[in-house]
Amino acid sequence: MWSSTTTVPNRSFKSATLSLLLCLSSVCLGQGVEFRPPSAVTAGQSTTISTSGSGDGTFYVLGPGHASKQKVRLGQDITIGADQLNVAGRYLAILCSTKCQSAAFYVSPTSPASLSFLVHPSRVPVKQPDAISGVAIPYDKFHNLVAAPLTIDFQLKSSSGEGMSRAVPTRYGVAWFRASSGLRAGSAQVAASIGQLSVRRIVQQVAGDPCNLRMTGQRNAKGILVQTQPVRDCSGNPVPDGTIVTFTENGPDGKSSVDTPVKQGIAQGQLLATGPVVISVASGVVMGNQLRMEAK
Amino acid sequence: MIRRRGWATVFCRPVLGVAIVSTLAFLALFPSRPAVVRAASSPAGSLPQVDLNGNNATPRSLEGLTQQNISRHYGKAWQDLADAFTYSSPALLNNYFVGAVRDRLATAISDQQRVGMHSRYLTQRHKIDVVFYAPEGDLVELHDTLQCELQVLDGEAPIHHEQATLHYVVLMTPSADRWVIRQLQAVSEF
Repeated sequence: MWSSTTTVPNRSFKSATLSLLLCLSSVCLGQGVEFRPPSAVTAGQSTTISTSGSGDGTFYVLGPGHASKQKVRLGQDITIGADQLNVAGRYLAILCSTKCQSAAFYVSPTSPASLSFLVHPSRVPVKQPDAISGVAIPYDKFHNLVAAPLTIDFQLKSSSGEGMSRAVPTRYGVAWFRASSGLRAGSAQVAASIGQLSVRRIVQQVAGDPCNLRMTGQRNAKGILVQTQPVRDCSGNPVPDGTIVTFTENGPDGKSSVDTPVKQGIAQGQLLATGPVVISVASGVVMGNQLRMEAK
Repeated sequence: MIRRRGWATVFCRPVLGVAIVSTLAFLALFPSRPAVVRAASSPAGSLPQVDLNGNNATPRSLEGLTQQNISRHYGKAWQDLADAFTYSSPALLNNYFVGAVRDRLATAISDQQRVGMHSRYLTQRHKIDVVFYAPEGDLVELHDTLQCELQVLDGEAPIHHEQATLHYVVLMTPSADRWVIRQLQAVSEF
């Protein structure tokens, strides 16, 4: 595609005077010069612009990633090299002899050669609706955005075998998806592909909030030793070690609590209690059972 | 008093007359010089007019504050771009352009500087439609219809001038404290 040709008279008085002198001496360069830019150019391909007229001229090309200037013989073809047309976008071709003419043409991207694939989040709790999202953007080998409609296949595969597959057409050069996390903790592989071109990302699915938090207590010389049963989420996945569990004892001496991390699936705490106490356990916003015990 | 008037009549008036005539002659002979100075000073410091419509953003709706920030940063980016081309200074691109787009624009500016050319984007008016806003808010795609006065000069001689309407597909991402342009690609139409 090319836009209408624009003619720009050189406003410089000196140039105009010079041109007038040249015309008067019957050497009016470029009189009736015409040139036609290419109708369609693909990135990375050379193109030729034909000119008419006679004499010498100056030819300029201005593109989004390139600019050049060269002397040309009018009436001959002008070749714009492939290396000057790598970047997709609007190019301006300007041919000057006694006056300047210009025309714009567009370079379009070539076929997709790479995918930019953004996936969020990198860690996600299991069983979360629409928790994983991905955006894919196809680029050609010159890193031009391929805005023409394409279909991108998104695939999500969990290590437990759960999966999702979806073909999404690009709109304005972008395709996206949203998916729920699986039921089992472990890594999930998310892939975006167009034909043979494929890009993968890993999302770690982790246990959700603890569920059915249960503890037992045992009197000892120091007070009461409390210990949870294996801490799991509602899908049965063990919560990661380091998850904080809080034991709280309420007795005649007041209220005190102990924060302790889960180690190898369970949490343990020593309460320095005396007399009758009520002990509760919690992790985050999840409450567990209560114990009523008599400390030594 | 009479002597002073006589001295002024004899010396000052002819000198002043010659100076005025010389100045007028110079301006008549070299009219392009003041025009270049005016054009060069025009883009500096003037933020382009940006009219951003976020109502069509999908799949995530565009928050009001985000819309304001994108609009402001996009305008500043174009101000930098115009200044970078006007003053042949690729370093001006560093604030709002990243990655391949920055490198390409810098190359174009260096090329123009090498062959003695300048491009000027004057009186910019950007009409922007937000067509995509990523679910996690980390990518936005804009369709910008830019109306501007585009001038190209070889040295100080204008070789191209047009009232251009340009269409750009733009990808922006948030960085530490601003939205930056990652892709700026002109298309013939949306």
